[in-house]
Amino acid sequence: MLKFLKQVGDYTKEAVQAGKYIGQGLAVTFDHMRRRPVTVQYPYEKLIPSERFRGRIHFEFDKCIACEVCVRVCPINLPVVDWEFNKESKKKQLNHYSIDFGVCIFCGNCVEFCPTNCLSMTEEYELSTYDRHELNFDSVALGRLPYKVTDDAMVTPLRELVYLPKGVLDPHDLPPGSKRAGARPEEIVESEK
Amino acid sequence: MNPGIDLQGSFIESLKSFGLPPGVAKVLWMPFPMLIMLVGATLGVFTLVWLERKISAAAQQRIGPEFIGPLGILAPLADGLKLVFKEDVVPAKADGLLFTLGPAIVVIPAFLSYLIVPFGQNMIITDVGMGIFLWIALSSVVPIGLLMSGYASNNKYSLLGGLRAAAQSISYELPLALSVLAIVLMSNSLSTVDIVNQQTGYGILGWNIWRQPVGFLIFWIAALAECERIPFDLPEAEEELVAGYQTEYSGMKFALFYIGSYVNLTLSALLFAVLYLGGWEFFVPIGTIAGFLNISDTTPWLQVVAAVLGIGMTLLKAYFLIFIAILMRWTVPRVRIDQLLDLGWKFLLPVSLVNLLITAGLKLAFPVAFGG
Amino acid sequence: MNLAEGVQIVSFGILSVMMLGAAIGVVLLDSIVYSAFLLGGVFISIAGLYLLLNADFIAAAQVLIYVGAVNVLILFAIMLVNKRQEFQPVPRAWIRKAATAAVCGGIFALLSTMVLSTPWAISSATPAGDASVVVIGLHFFSDFLLPFELASILLLMALIGAVVLARREFLPDDDFEKAQAEALKLPERPRELVPSGRNETVK
Ligand code: SF4
Ligand code: SF4
Repeated sequence: MLKFLKQVGDYTKEAVQAGKYIGQGLAVTFDHMRRRPVTVQYPYEKLIPSERFRGRIHFEFDKCIACEVCVRVCPINLPVVDWEFNKESKKKQLNHYSIDFGVCIFCGNCVEFCPTNCLSMTEEYELSTYDRHELNFDSVALGRLPYKVTDDAMVTPLRELVYLPKGVLDPHDLPPGSKRAGARPEEIVESEK
Repeated sequence: MNPGIDLQGSFIESLKSFGLPPGVAKVLWMPFPMLIMLVGATLGVFTLVWLERKISAAAQQRIGPEFIGPLGILAPLADGLKLVFKEDVVPAKADGLLFTLGPAIVVIPAFLSYLIVPFGQNMIITDVGMGIFLWIALSSVVPIGLLMSGYASNNKYSLLGGLRAAAQSISYELPLALSVLAIVLMSNSLSTVDIVNQQTGYGILGWNIWRQPVGFLIFWIAALAECERIPFDLPEAEEELVAGYQTEYSGMKFALFYIGSYVNLTLSALLFAVLYLGGWEFFVPIGTIAGFLNISDTTPWLQVVAAVLGIGMTLLKAYFLIFIAILMRWTVPRVRIDQLLDLGWKFLLPVSLVNLLITAGLKLAFPVAFGG
Repeated sequence: MNLAEGVQIVSFGILSVMMLGAAIGVVLLDSIVYSAFLLGGVFISIAGLYLLLNADFIAAAQVLIYVGAVNVLILFAIMLVNKRQEFQPVPRAWIRKAATAAVCGGIFALLSTMVLSTPWAISSATPAGDASVVVIGLHFFSDFLLPFELASILLLMALIGAVVLARREFLPDDDFEKAQAEALKLPERPRELVPSGRNETVK
């Protein structure tokens, strides 16, 4: 009898505990309800990508020496370098260059290792198309510069977390002239002098 | 207790004053409550869908629907329109007849059960003597519709979902009915109006929730399970069964399931308010306030105020419960099927039986407090 | 004839046609699933007839028990057991058919004598109406006590039987394991496992 009562007691204790945990969970969810939404209303508002954002790759045709280093360091040998050996000048002459951004993983290896710095990563990330082959950018498309969010009159640029003043989490309605946390590069240069 | 407003009587009287014979007036009255019920239930669903989206968004620090009407209030309407204009696909090799009949059987009992939800002394469509028992009986028809649509879809996920749904609703019907039975025991009547009247008089202190704390929890858990709300939404578990018995449905037939589940939730919340939270009762009995302010009980404007307050209170309580259900949705994870059946058969059923027994004992011991 | 009577007669007609049609369908249809669903239709029409007789508690109980429980269980059984078998002619099948015919004929005869012998005069007692629950309860605990208790004992027996069946602890171990092992093994020639680390390749 006593054993049975103890079992019932234990069971009740467990049930009460489960109830308590569910209550705690509800409290957490309830607490989240009074926080401000973090939503960025995308087509109307856009975040300014950070300085080291790894977006679509930009390529400068005239700087490229067709060394194919980018192909070798790419994890999937993605860049297509089409060159011809020019007998007169005894140099490689680049005909075409293309990267398929449907396949690229934006690891940035090619940018890192290019000896002439003709590759760079831009802040462009809106790479949606109706046909995946449209993502295969040739040298002309690769040479275009992205349109800056801050220049777009249709878009409200919002600062990313790193660009917000200390302790601020919401990019909306910032006071004008508010500076990001920490020193800016020019200030560092100034202080080094 | 004053009779409050008699909608039917005044409607028929006003028609008769236009020179219509009483019979015609009565016939004209007949479709009226049904219409009100359908419109009311649908509006309730719209509100609920909107609330669900908004509250879910708030719980996840999103905004939720925003541009469709002020604060996105028309989003459910847009959903509905989309579903109406969608192509109605019946899969090849599916059983067309049962496939169409299934959603109807799921939806009709839910709407019919609105018959017994009281918003005031006379604000009820029919005060049938069966009352709450009618609801239990009607909701027991739903599993047939689920099995039917699961079977007719000719899809193993649908069939599994249908079987799970039926198993779930049979096993949670029992604790639900038993906890309702404890309430019925205290109020000596199955009628919802009587159940509310039995709780009146002491304001918030007279509500059944104080006398039936265990029954109240059991009822809420079982009602969530009956509505397939999240901790118990196995029949449509997206990760395992795609969408359970709804997998093959689209367009208006899917909309029927969708409406059905939300109507069911609203209904459970309303009945919960009626059974445990004193229905249309204000926190302080209205008679006391009226007596305090020296207003007669039969003043016409007081009756109107009381009626409006009654509807408001019922809805307020119901939507408070719905709010908790939505919070619950984003708080607790889904249970497994064996845990679900374990909880139903090994925990809720014995506990609700014991609850019933204790209620009966208390009723014999303290007939004043527990209805004699 | 006033409105209420007209409605009653029309609904009586509809309900009886529904019930008879569904019942015939249950017997005659080939698909067993359809039969089961139609059985639900029969039960619902009977509940409707009860409603017409002012017996709303019985009607609700009919829906709850027969449609909500019995019919769902039948459907469950049908849907969970999906075994297709070749048709095998049973030897001496006529005995079965004759027995069935005898039983059915007997029941039909019994029912007809009951129908014929019952005085169908409308009783003058006032219908219990909403108080029918109370009346039924009183009957259960006075003059119908024995059948009521017998029914509960029967149900209790079924309940315990179900529990015993469900928690069957004795499972023939070797049979079970053998069946499982056979089912799980793929019909493949056993292979050496491919070594994954560098150390294993050395030896
Ligand atoms: S970013 Fe990485 S994956 Fe893309 S082309 Fe360059 S090296 Fe290849
Ligand atoms: S590594 Fe730079 S220079 Fe060399 S082929 Fe690639 S893009 Fe041209």
